[in-house]
Amino acid sequence: MLTVKILGSGCPNCKKVEETVRKAATGMGAEADFVKVTDYNQITQYPILSTPGLVINEKVVCSGRIPTEAEVTTWLADTLASA
Amino acid sequence: MQLLDAPLALIRAGLGNLAAYLAAHVLLCLVPAFAIAGAMTALIPKESVTQFLGRKAPKYVSYPAAALAGSVLAVCSCTIVPLFAGIYKKGAGIGPAMTFLFFAPAANILALVYTGGVIGPDLAFARLFLSLAFGIGIGMIMALIFRRSDVLHDQQTEDAFANRAGMKRGALVFLILLVALLLSGTLKIGLLTNTYAELSLPIAGLDRFQETLSQLVPFDPSRGEEGVTAQGAVLIALLLLIALSAWRGLDNVLEGFNAWTWVALTLVALTLLVAALGVDPGTGEVALRLTGKSVGVVLALAALWGVARRHLTAHELRDWMWESWRFVKQIFPLLIVGVFGVGVIRQLIRPEWIEALAGRNTLVGNLAGVAFGVFMYFPTLVEVPIAKMFLSLGMHRGPLLAYLMADPELSLQSILIVSAIIGKLKSWTYVAWVALFSTLAGLLYGLWVDGVNGWLILGYLAALLAVLAAGLWLASRRNGRQLASLPRASSHG
Repeated sequence: MLTVKILGSGCPNCKKVEETVRKAATGMGAEADFVKVTDYNQITQYPILSTPGLVINEKVVCSGRIPTEAEVTTWLADTLASA
Repeated sequence: MQLLDAPLALIRAGLGNLAAYLAAHVLLCLVPAFAIAGAMTALIPKESVTQFLGRKAPKYVSYPAAALAGSVLAVCSCTIVPLFAGIYKKGAGIGPAMTFLFFAPAANILALVYTGGVIGPDLAFARLFLSLAFGIGIGMIMALIFRRSDVLHDQQTEDAFANRAGMKRGALVFLILLVALLLSGTLKIGLLTNTYAELSLPIAGLDRFQETLSQLVPFDPSRGEEGVTAQGAVLIALLLLIALSAWRGLDNVLEGFNAWTWVALTLVALTLLVAALGVDPGTGEVALRLTGKSVGVVLALAALWGVARRHLTAHELRDWMWESWRFVKQIFPLLIVGVFGVGVIRQLIRPEWIEALAGRNTLVGNLAGVAFGVFMYFPTLVEVPIAKMFLSLGMHRGPLLAYLMADPELSLQSILIVSAIIGKLKSWTYVAWVALFSTLAGLLYGLWVDGVNGWLILGYLAALLAVLAAGLWLASRRNGRQLASLPRASSHG
């Protein structure tokens, strides 16, 4: 089971990240829960210095940029394999 | 009918101001500036600066690095808040965090370029230099006042700052070329403004078009209003076309380039070229002047094209275009509304009021500038056309700088963010210091404008900062001794 958290105040880039992850998850047939974290106090609990941040199963995989679909697919597969 | 006339005149004034701004200032200044801001966000890895903001970085590294982060990384609020919180809670502490917060809105690339293009390079430079000096000063003062609570934060981890990264050489060259494009379009030096070749095209009617325009958009240079030229009208039309094609070509550029992307890029290049040409409409023909500016713009565009093709990946280019476009989408609509509003308001303010209040470089004048900046909130960059309006209505450049420093620093938004992260007491202390320092900045710059010896002013500034630095050093030494005598709460090193 995958839990994907998108950290960010809802700026356009956060939406792009969510779109990318959704596509990657659908593409590999993985089921994932999506959680949007918009509260800054919660966001700063994670070790990131700029939004959007992407957290898969409580591990920060990327922050401050929009990852490509291929990257996200790799991260999702890695997480599934190690679970 | 009398009742309707007044509002109609105001709307016309607003639209006129808008048209004049779009034609005169937007293109050669704002278009490259948005591209640079986008390139900074997309191509500079944030770790290349944040590695200097960890807790273990010495003060003489972390304060300048905080200022650099403010001007290079933080063009948008997506970065400002997390980075501020990160530096404060896990990194170099409250001092550099405050420096970062102070420097980011006043001296990021968009604000500086726009100030330079609209009001003048002298004010842009003063804004940069004084923001740097006072940003570091305020950071040090805050570190001094709140040194006790800062010690607590120092015990926490700093994983976020451990990553290091350098910048790709190709990306760096690309960024430098964008700056060259900006400078060749906006600098007003002889090499760039001289005419090197002239060409006459037999296009009739442009002079009549020009006359019609001056009647449609009436202007009065004595009030600081500008008209619209025939060239300006062509440029506004091109801008509209860019907006349309960018909506289809850049909004989804992350999924890949499409035909509209190329249309948008070609239109942007074409617009810059037209804007860099000198156009003199005559009877029955139009004289086109090839200036140093046009040559510079052509060279810079060609070099950009070459570097982009050879040294940047498609993914980097996509990121760059998306980030630039995102800035345009985020800032430009507000700017348009703001400029329209300025055109309307200018009709309602009497120059005598401004002159009486802030026409000279006095303490009261500078305080008035700061007070206006504190109590009014304008979206990013709108402070610049407003400052331009004050300038044309007779405000002295000193109080004007005081206003320009205070307005973006003390928006309601930034105060709320700051108090959420560091608490109310600290944020109001910060507000007070910003108000004081903005007034000082205005006074010092006003002295400079009034012809007081530059070295004397630099001396004042250096003395002020030296007193601050000495105080901080003394306090941290005393603090260090107190700490050493206490048992360590955590062994984390």
